Amino acid sequence: MLVLRLVLRYYELVAQRVRQGGSRGFPACPVHPSLPARRPALALGVGTCLLVTAAAVAGCGRVATGAAGARVRAIGAENEYANVISQVGGRYVQVSAVMGNPDVDPHDFEASARLASEVSQAQLVVQNGLGYDGFMNKLEAAASPPGQRVVVVADLVHPRPGTFNPHLWYSPATMPLVAGAVARELTRLQPSHGAYFEERARAFDASLAPWHKALAAFAKAYPGTPVAVTEPVADFMLAAARARVLTPRPLQTAVMDGIDPSPQDVAAQDSLLAHHRVKVLLYNVQVTDPVTAGFLATARRAGVPVVGVYETMPAPGYDYQSWMMAEVRALSRAVAHGRSTVGF
Amino acid sequence: MSIVHAVFAPGFFSNGPVQAALVMGAVVAAVCAPVGVLAVLRGQSFAGHAFADITSTGGSAAVLLGISPVLGFAASAAAGAASMEGLGARQHGDRDLVTGTVLGGALGLSALLLYLSTTRQGTSGATVSVLFGSVFAVSSANWPWVAALGLPALALVAAAYRPLLLSSVSPELAAARGVRSHLVGAMYLAALAASVALAALTIGAVLSTALLVGPAAAALGLSSRPGRAMAWAGAIGVTSVWAGIVLAYDSYSWPPAGRGWPVSFFVVALVMAFYAASRAGAHRHGRSPAGKAA
Repeated sequence: MLVLRLVLRYYELVAQRVRQGGSRGFPACPVHPSLPARRPALALGVGTCLLVTAAAVAGCGRVATGAAGARVRAIGAENEYANVISQVGGRYVQVSAVMGNPDVDPHDFEASARLASEVSQAQLVVQNGLGYDGFMNKLEAAASPPGQRVVVVADLVHPRPGTFNPHLWYSPATMPLVAGAVARELTRLQPSHGAYFEERARAFDASLAPWHKALAAFAKAYPGTPVAVTEPVADFMLAAARARVLTPRPLQTAVMDGIDPSPQDVAAQDSLLAHHRVKVLLYNVQVTDPVTAGFLATARRAGVPVVGVYETMPAPGYDYQSWMMAEVRALSRAVAHGRSTVGF
Repeated sequence: MSIVHAVFAPGFFSNGPVQAALVMGAVVAAVCAPVGVLAVLRGQSFAGHAFADITSTGGSAAVLLGISPVLGFAASAAAGAASMEGLGARQHGDRDLVTGTVLGGALGLSALLLYLSTTRQGTSGATVSVLFGSVFAVSSANWPWVAALGLPALALVAAAYRPLLLSSVSPELAAARGVRSHLVGAMYLAALAASVALAALTIGAVLSTALLVGPAAAALGLSSRPGRAMAWAGAIGVTSVWAGIVLAYDSYSWPPAGRGWPVSFFVVALVMAFYAASRAGAHRHGRSPAGKAA
């Protein structure tokens, strides 16, 4: 009975991992704990209780023949960074993401015991920094394998000191730096595949060109477009598109930090929307509260188009590039045709 | 004019959230005044506090379900009233024990619900808004609920005013006069639950008891006549809320600049100040402060 319960628990964990889109580090087999299972499809293929035990044994047995042993275990604290790691590392990395549920505000994330064990096994970690994912530092300090490489994106980007906006991945300059750093660290871990990583990092940079072009086109067609936001999520992208964010900065910070904004700032934002002083309202799909709901209602009443932006990559169906393109397209549609995009 | 400007920072009266907060705060303080005075007279201010803890559970459940928090506040306060009424027949010591345990459980449940809504749904800020509230952030969609709770609460107190007072002051006399004290008590608990829900909406679940009992306790230090005390409580409550709103608006220019301090802090601080002043005044005049139950 105990074995059956262990087996069921194991499948629960596997199912959880698969749902989250992670592809690495499946929990050790409960029957042969020394053998980690590495075939999620096989492991999940058998769903009925009758076959559970047999499948577990079979799943563990298969591991010995698995050829994935040489992969680098990597973690992206946010799923957009995990996505870049997997694009650069290709077949030589096993990547998982910590934060990637589009319904959850990453600012509210809290570390779990499971995550702690994942971090303790990762050879490469990419995290944002600027306090956005401070829990990662604690996990790394608590237990990490010798030689674990940690890439802090804020240290690559060098944002202005005291910047209030931690959403660095919306800046067009950020991800090429991240891809370069990931290629460097992967090469250090697997020197024989250095050329492969470098080549893929270059390909990644090149694949950002359409996004950069779309931003430049928007900047040229609608220079200085006034916009309102609920949070600073997409502010770096808006700056690249030469849009002007008219929302008071304290209001953006208050909503981001989950505290009530001052009535002065709420009134200022309401008047931006009600008097059409902005062309579009961008709001964070992942963070909703009565205050932001009020802004959305005001915008709808006034006929100001609203665009939902994502704080982490909306998965499945998107990679970093297609996500960013979708954001720019939604912005252009709103400014050019007054069309709203609420999630995609 | 310059003094007016010094007190009311520019844009105060034309500010949408401020206008809504002034009206909402006054309505809630006015409902809380008579209910609060009766709570103190009946020695039920602890029940008010118990409801406050229980409402935090309802408020967080409402956030999780995506419905108006005032519905959650009201539903949980009603459930609290019903269970308190059920426990009423038991012995006092036992009741304290049960109440304490249930309150701990209720707050623990709020912790779970708030955790779920911030980590699963991205309702950022739910913890602060449910527990500590902000009258500036109360959506106008709540107005029908405020009316639906406030008017019946006042009506219940008005309908049972004399028997309520009598059974509060002298249960034996009330029984001799044929007052159905059980029915009257149940009506009062319903009004109390509604008032707590309104106060929770205005200044947050944890602080709601301050708005309910604080002005009433201060008022009973000024007058021992129930009707007059209710008027005083109303005046003190409305003044505290309005002055709190003015101060919160002004605090925009205080450090940290451009942020503003939480309005609930100011309201509760003013209520406390009124209570302290009333006690000091009562002491000097040799009157026994009636608000000691708070």
